Amino acid sequence: MSVKSWYERKYYGEIEDLPEEEYDVLVIGGGIAGIQAALDLGDMGFKVVLVEKEPSIGGFMYKLSKTFPTMDCASCIATPRMAQVFHHPMIDLLIYSEVEEIEKKGEGDFRVKVLEKPRFVDSSRCTGCGQCELACPVIVPHEYDWGLAGRKAVYIPFDTAVPRIAVVDLDHCIYCGQCERACPTEPPSIDFTQVPKIHHLKVGAIIIATGFHLFDARLKENYHFGEYPNVIHAMHMDRLLAPTRPYHAILRPSDGKEPNNIAYILCVGSRDKTVNNPNCSQICCMYSIKQAQLIMGALPLADVTIYYIDIRAFGKAFEEFYQQAKDMGIMLVKGRVAKIEQKENGDLIVWYEDIENGGKLCKAEHDLVVLSVGLLPNKEIANVFKGQKLEVDDVGWIKPVDENANPVETSIRGVFAAGTALGPKDIPDSVIEGGAAAMQCAAYLSEVRGRH
Amino acid sequence: MSEEELRIGVYVCHCGGNISDYVDVKKVVEAIKGEPGVVVAKDVMFACSDSSQNEIINDVKEHNLNRVVVASCSPKLHELTFRETVKRAGLNPYLYYHANIREHVSWAHTDTREGATEKAIRHVRAAIAYVRNAKPLEPIRQKTMHAVLVIGGGIAGLRAALDLSRTGLNVYLVERSPFLGGRTPQLYRVYPDGRRGADIVKDLVSELIRRDNVAIYTNAEIKSFSGYIGNFEVEVEIKPRYIKVPYDEIKEKIKELPDEIPDEFNYGLTKRKVIYYPYEGAFPRIPVLDLDHCSDVETIKELLGDAVDLEQKPETVKLKVGAVIVATGFDPYEPKEGEFGYGRQGVVTLPQLHRLMDLGNGELKLNGREIRDVAFVYCVGSRQKKSSEEEEVNEYCSRYCCNAAMYISSLLMEQGIRTYHIFRDIRTYGRHERMYDEVSRKGGIFIKYNEDEPPEIEEEGDKLLLKVKDLLTAGEQLEIPVDLVVLVTGMVPRKTPELDELLRISRGRDRFYVEVHPKLRPVETAIGGIFIAGACQAPRDICETLSSASAAASKAATVTLRDVIELEPFKAEVDPNICDLSKKCIEICPYEAIEIKNYEGIGEKAWVNKAKCMGCGACVAVCPTEAIQLNGLTNEQIRAMIEAAGKEVII
Ligand SMILES: Cc1cc2nc3c(=O)[nH]c(=O)nc-3n(C[C@H](O)[C@H](O)[C@H](O)COP(=O)(O)OP(=O)(O)OC[C@H]3O[C@@H](n4cnc5c(N)ncnc54)[C@H](O)[C@@H]3O)c2cc1C
Ligand SMILES: Cc1cc2nc3c(=O)[nH]c(=O)nc-3n(C[C@H](O)[C@H](O)[C@H](O)COP(=O)(O)OP(=O)(O)OC[C@H]3O[C@@H](n4cnc5c(N)ncnc54)[C@H](O)[C@@H]3O)c2cc1C
Ligand code: SF4
Ligand code: SF4
Repeated sequence: MSVKSWYERKYYGEIEDLPEEEYDVLVIGGGIAGIQAALDLGDMGFKVVLVEKEPSIGGFMYKLSKTFPTMDCASCIATPRMAQVFHHPMIDLLIYSEVEEIEKKGEGDFRVKVLEKPRFVDSSRCTGCGQCELACPVIVPHEYDWGLAGRKAVYIPFDTAVPRIAVVDLDHCIYCGQCERACPTEPPSIDFTQVPKIHHLKVGAIIIATGFHLFDARLKENYHFGEYPNVIHAMHMDRLLAPTRPYHAILRPSDGKEPNNIAYILCVGSRDKTVNNPNCSQICCMYSIKQAQLIMGALPLADVTIYYIDIRAFGKAFEEFYQQAKDMGIMLVKGRVAKIEQKENGDLIVWYEDIENGGKLCKAEHDLVVLSVGLLPNKEIANVFKGQKLEVDDVGWIKPVDENANPVETSIRGVFAAGTALGPKDIPDSVIEGGAAAMQCAAYLSEVRGRH
Repeated sequence: MSEEELRIGVYVCHCGGNISDYVDVKKVVEAIKGEPGVVVAKDVMFACSDSSQNEIINDVKEHNLNRVVVASCSPKLHELTFRETVKRAGLNPYLYYHANIREHVSWAHTDTREGATEKAIRHVRAAIAYVRNAKPLEPIRQKTMHAVLVIGGGIAGLRAALDLSRTGLNVYLVERSPFLGGRTPQLYRVYPDGRRGADIVKDLVSELIRRDNVAIYTNAEIKSFSGYIGNFEVEVEIKPRYIKVPYDEIKEKIKELPDEIPDEFNYGLTKRKVIYYPYEGAFPRIPVLDLDHCSDVETIKELLGDAVDLEQKPETVKLKVGAVIVATGFDPYEPKEGEFGYGRQGVVTLPQLHRLMDLGNGELKLNGREIRDVAFVYCVGSRQKKSSEEEEVNEYCSRYCCNAAMYISSLLMEQGIRTYHIFRDIRTYGRHERMYDEVSRKGGIFIKYNEDEPPEIEEEGDKLLLKVKDLLTAGEQLEIPVDLVVLVTGMVPRKTPELDELLRISRGRDRFYVEVHPKLRPVETAIGGIFIAGACQAPRDICETLSSASAAASKAATVTLRDVIELEPFKAEVDPNICDLSKKCIEICPYEAIEIKNYEGIGEKAWVNKAKCMGCGACVAVCPTEAIQLNGLTNEQIRAMIEAAGKEVII
């Protein structure tokens, strides 16, 4: 929900204004890039505040299954980092909070307003036992599982959430009070009297690590996403394959059948001027190959076909990973998919231009189609700077002032960016940029404070 | 501590299925529940998650636990995580043992659930035996040096040095070649912004040389290396330049010398003089005399007089630093004679094309001849297939080359040159897709070849004929006459065997330096305090190189901005009451860490200098009386673990 609508809802009563707090660095976004930046700065001895808008830190990564190219499970890597940042003595977290306004007063002096949204759960008492969840009668699709499973109106974001405490989703709450009665703490941790709080921060430097969002596949109308149930997108598949997966099996939506002939369509919403994104999304080839390999493990009899334009296996150990996929029997077809049709039984007919066979229009049948959707920028953060302009490129990614000198420095001196906030990239590159932005902050602060 | 007082908590992790798919985790818990001292035994979904860590902490407090075992993934990943947890619970972090039942059990025995479960039980029992015999240990606290050594003066090294120096740390930059900049100054113009490579370097260098806390050594190499994180000792040897004055002062005189030696800066396309200054703006401004190639020293002396000093000797400086960044870069792949026509007139590599364009001030000419059409052959020296197990090939993609070739093509096309692109996949990832798009729009012709049927290049008159089977037109055989064939060569890691040996850092299968973990610790090596940056770790472009350099600098700063560093207490220790001074340990210790010391009331016995001890255990094995033991892994512990692991398992 947008920050603004929080204000507009009068029943919260007053907004609580908190006294000013001082930090060396503000990190915006608690994905893996922001977490790495905060940890490095904390380890260097800087005092850091990390602001995350969702009820848990972690970003995209904790939702993933295994990760290319080493195939280690995402939770195994993400969760301990999340715990580390949570317990770091030099790092404070403002979770479920959004940056409202940033004003630069001078070098090394930024004034920031952060709105902390009410969880309606007292975080000092909630033990994360989940009794409230059991009691709540409202079921809505769960964001964590990308809508594949449900959650309640009061819920713990996910098993390994940080912090692992409940949150009430007021948009769906029917105010029945069941959760409050079920809560075993004394007094109950559910607290509907909570109001939004405004934190006033004075910080020396800022790192933007607000990540990306996925291309809305409905915009590619000829693929009928949202209309044909068995056309899903890659994030669904990553959830279906994750150790914390919703059904403990890979099932196709229309009839719950195990698919045995799966198609991947690459470059959906990328390299495509018709949807205003001429860029390549840099990770979708690789995540598709990863998922294909995992499917081969989970459904040994299934066929997987990847329709691609170019396979962009460019990073360290990527090409080897791609060759391994070919050796496993994953089929690769160089072809642009023109359209998808649905049969009565829910199976799908994929029409594609077979580029390596003279560009003939061919068709193939599949029982599940996965769209490898591209990455797009989260644009809101550019609007919070008062009196200063954060430069973004024509797609909306934050634009470094001088890429070939300092690729993580933005157009506002003292404001740095890291990870997918700067453009699509994988986890290793995001982590590296997190470290780079931390370094630039440290150097900048040392300079403006006259240490050197 | 006597047996009754032990209160052990054991946590067996499912790892979300990574373990529990092959190990019956519940059975493991059942099997070890009755072990003496075990008070709490549980299975957990993700032991490393914050909630499970909190559960452990609560259990420690509630059940007064004084030992903890977690059986989960490799200790490489999470031993430190749980030591922290145990510490937060108020226990000494070394009263903890991390049993690896994932890499060593579930992943290794996917074929037998029963066998895997049995092995897991043995591992956990051994872990319990370990903690039963564990003693609290204190990390060794050492002062750190507020200084960093950067090895390699390419853009990675320059960026890292500049970043660290800005925080006030002292930086020593050591460059093996006589000039800073690495490969970048050889680039005519670079994507995405079209700057000259030399200018990028010049900007970084001019910022760096202004700083008073940076020492730059060029023509220099690491000669010795010892120590540990926070306290490394390094010897650097600086070779003589034999020239004492800046290039500008003797420029005219140098011109009088003949061109003798193939110029490596221009990849042999031109010749250079024995007094060498590679390009306008190179730093340092002082040229070098290449004595190895100099046939006539007397003429040089006559010509340059006082500007030359043949008496200069190599110098050695000793440095003490807290951290090291290795940024030794790459070499361009050098095609074999005949590979894609290499060696023929008119076949050049992409690095050579950059030099040709730079030498021609942007205009492309070969031996004075105008060039009208150019064919780029991609993936030369990259994405190679092994024909036999032993063969050393480059299986990786070199990442930068599609982008770089595409960028240069668009510059050529602006001059009206026609370009052909003989590719396997065009990998202009991310926003570099725009360059591909532009070349297509300008009329670049794209031809896809199959790696099993590489294009052939023949001479035909004063042109070259490129023969290729085009997959995009259903395998049509094409013959294209061109003036120039550019082999888009990949990157190979620069060979630095002496340095690798001194630093003891390792390389991966692709022969680039390998990081501890690509996602958790992407710029760290297995040796604490040594970090890697830039193209020595993997092929990278400038932008990515700069990020990785700053990330490595960040890690180095986390070590060196601190005053004190904590080291693992796993060091040898002598019990002077048992030592009979056989001196066997002193002889065998590879780190010269053991000395003889006078213990009060006991006399002369062996003594371990813990700062020098690396915990290798060589001494333990040779001590006839078992007087020397490794803290954290005593003989007693090892025996107890073996015994526990060997006990019968009934599932
Ligand atoms: C289907 C799929 C599969 C993938 N598989 C892999 C893989 O196998 N291997 C791999 O290396 N990579 C993979 N990736 C890529 C990986 O997810 C990203 O590289 C990584 O998540 C980027 O991390 P980040 O921190 O930059 O951004 P994010 O993970 O997006 O984190 C950004 C954080 O900022 C928060 N935020 C956003 N806006 C604001 C705001 N205004 N105020 C406060 N907080 C804000 C968000 O809530 C989020 O927590 C995959 C991606 C997808 C989509
Ligand atoms: C033909 C070509 C075109 C390119 N075009 C582009 C482009 O358009 N855009 C772009 O972004 N990138 C481009 N690149 C990539 C770019 O050149 C690299 O990203 C960059 O040079 C990597 O820098 P580095 O510092 O890691 O390595 P290097 O430049 O190789 O520098 C390493 C340095 O370490 C020194 N060294 C080595 N061993 C030792 C030792 N033992 N002791 C001391 N010093 C040592 C070396 O002498 C060298 O100075 C191109 C590369 C090539 C080959
Ligand atoms: S990474 Fe692959 S799938 Fe994604 S946009 Fe680029 S080419 Fe298409
Ligand atoms: S970047 Fe392009 S040319 Fe270079 S190895 Fe990869 S696919 Fe081949």
